[in-house]
Amino acid sequence: MDFALSEDQRILRDEITRFAENELNDDIAERDRGQTFSREQWDKCAEMGLAGLPVPEQYGGSGLDGLTTAIALEALGYGCRDGGLVFSLCAHLLACTVPIWKHGSDELKERYLPGLCAGTTIAVNAMTETTSGSDAFNMACRAVKDGNGYRINGTKIMSTNGPIADIVITYSQTDPEKGAYGGLTGFVLDAKTEGIRTDQKFEKMGLRTSMLGEVVFEDAYAPEEAMIGKVGGGTAIFTQSMEWERTLIAAAHLGTMRRLLEDCIAYARTRVSGEHTIGKHQAVSHKIVDMKIRLEAARNLTYCSAWNLDRSRTSAMASSMTKVFVSEALVQTALDAVQIHGGHGFLTETGVERILRDSIGGTLYSGTNEVQRNIVAGWLGL
Amino acid sequence: MSDTDRDSIIARVRRFILEEFLPGEDPEDLTDSMPLISGGILDSIKNMRLIGFLEEEYGVAFEAHEISFEFLDTLELITSTVQAKLAEKK
Repeated sequence: MDFALSEDQRILRDEITRFAENELNDDIAERDRGQTFSREQWDKCAEMGLAGLPVPEQYGGSGLDGLTTAIALEALGYGCRDGGLVFSLCAHLLACTVPIWKHGSDELKERYLPGLCAGTTIAVNAMTETTSGSDAFNMACRAVKDGNGYRINGTKIMSTNGPIADIVITYSQTDPEKGAYGGLTGFVLDAKTEGIRTDQKFEKMGLRTSMLGEVVFEDAYAPEEAMIGKVGGGTAIFTQSMEWERTLIAAAHLGTMRRLLEDCIAYARTRVSGEHTIGKHQAVSHKIVDMKIRLEAARNLTYCSAWNLDRSRTSAMASSMTKVFVSEALVQTALDAVQIHGGHGFLTETGVERILRDSIGGTLYSGTNEVQRNIVAGWLGL
Repeated sequence: MSDTDRDSIIARVRRFILEEFLPGEDPEDLTDSMPLISGGILDSIKNMRLIGFLEEEYGVAFEAHEISFEFLDTLELITSTVQAKLAEKK
């Protein structure tokens, strides 16, 4: 493993950082307050190629490997202060585009990937239900054979991009007796399909510029061609998409942590308390040192996991460890950043408190950190 | 790569399951037809570990839909699946 950045990777990182800093940071506090998704900024990200980073060029992506995708998303997380926008983009790319790219038929790939990579279509991964969250495979949603396709019934909640989605990726029970072992199947459908509703929107504490909603299926018809992979393959397909998501959302967190670190260093070097800048007080400098240590450790874990995405059949343990460590490192770093900024950190206008609110979601989405620890325990033979 | 005749595969997979998932169990209790998934011996994570082992040990690749009862529920089924994949490779 060699994580020294190549010249191309450095250019990519710098371009994305410059783009994000210049184009994505207007009116965030206002959009956060109003829970407003910015389609304009989404489109700018897509024009930059961010919606299709690892997807092969023949389908409109950039064909990047896992590690380079991580470097790109780290740069986005660093330059873009709108955590909700970054999250929406990652959910679209990693939980929706990746499974179609990895398991879809040629027809599905040709039909959907160009629009997904261009960002002209937005996708939602409809998985969570009221009675199944982190135990995602214990779902109630059913897809019953009907002619050459399936009739889907059920309600999915907490679906990122749900209210704005053009395309729905969903998983349903096609054989309840088999459950997670051959009984779940993935489908991709246009959100306007008769029998699909994506209207309800949830209000939340953080990532407020990312839309979270419900996706309801009422006798929605999915033709055979809408199936991702083969019947019964849903568990493995969804699991793989979560490995990509857990690893590469963490990459975006690295950028946020780096920005917080730099902001705190700048603040601690100029803010005076008594006769010294606050950075001269060990109570502050040690917090900043811990931020730096967490960032470096988080980057190593994330790069390792991202490198593994292209090389191993499963990166379940690596992605779960990365997700736990990085999301918790981000929460602690954001909390420390608020504390270092004192009363100013508590004010909305500085934006530090927003990052803290955003960071909490990282311990919950893509499977709670408690479930990630269960996964790692399972891989350790416990 | 391990031997690929039926008896060798069944013995190798049995040893893997006993060592990894059933430490301390009497090997005699793990029969060729014992249900592994429906019997609660393999859960979703253990299934993935088993797949990883089979792919590495025998140089075969499983598709998403093959991680299921009909391909993995007993030592007999696992062995038949591996043999079928090895035959496809030839």
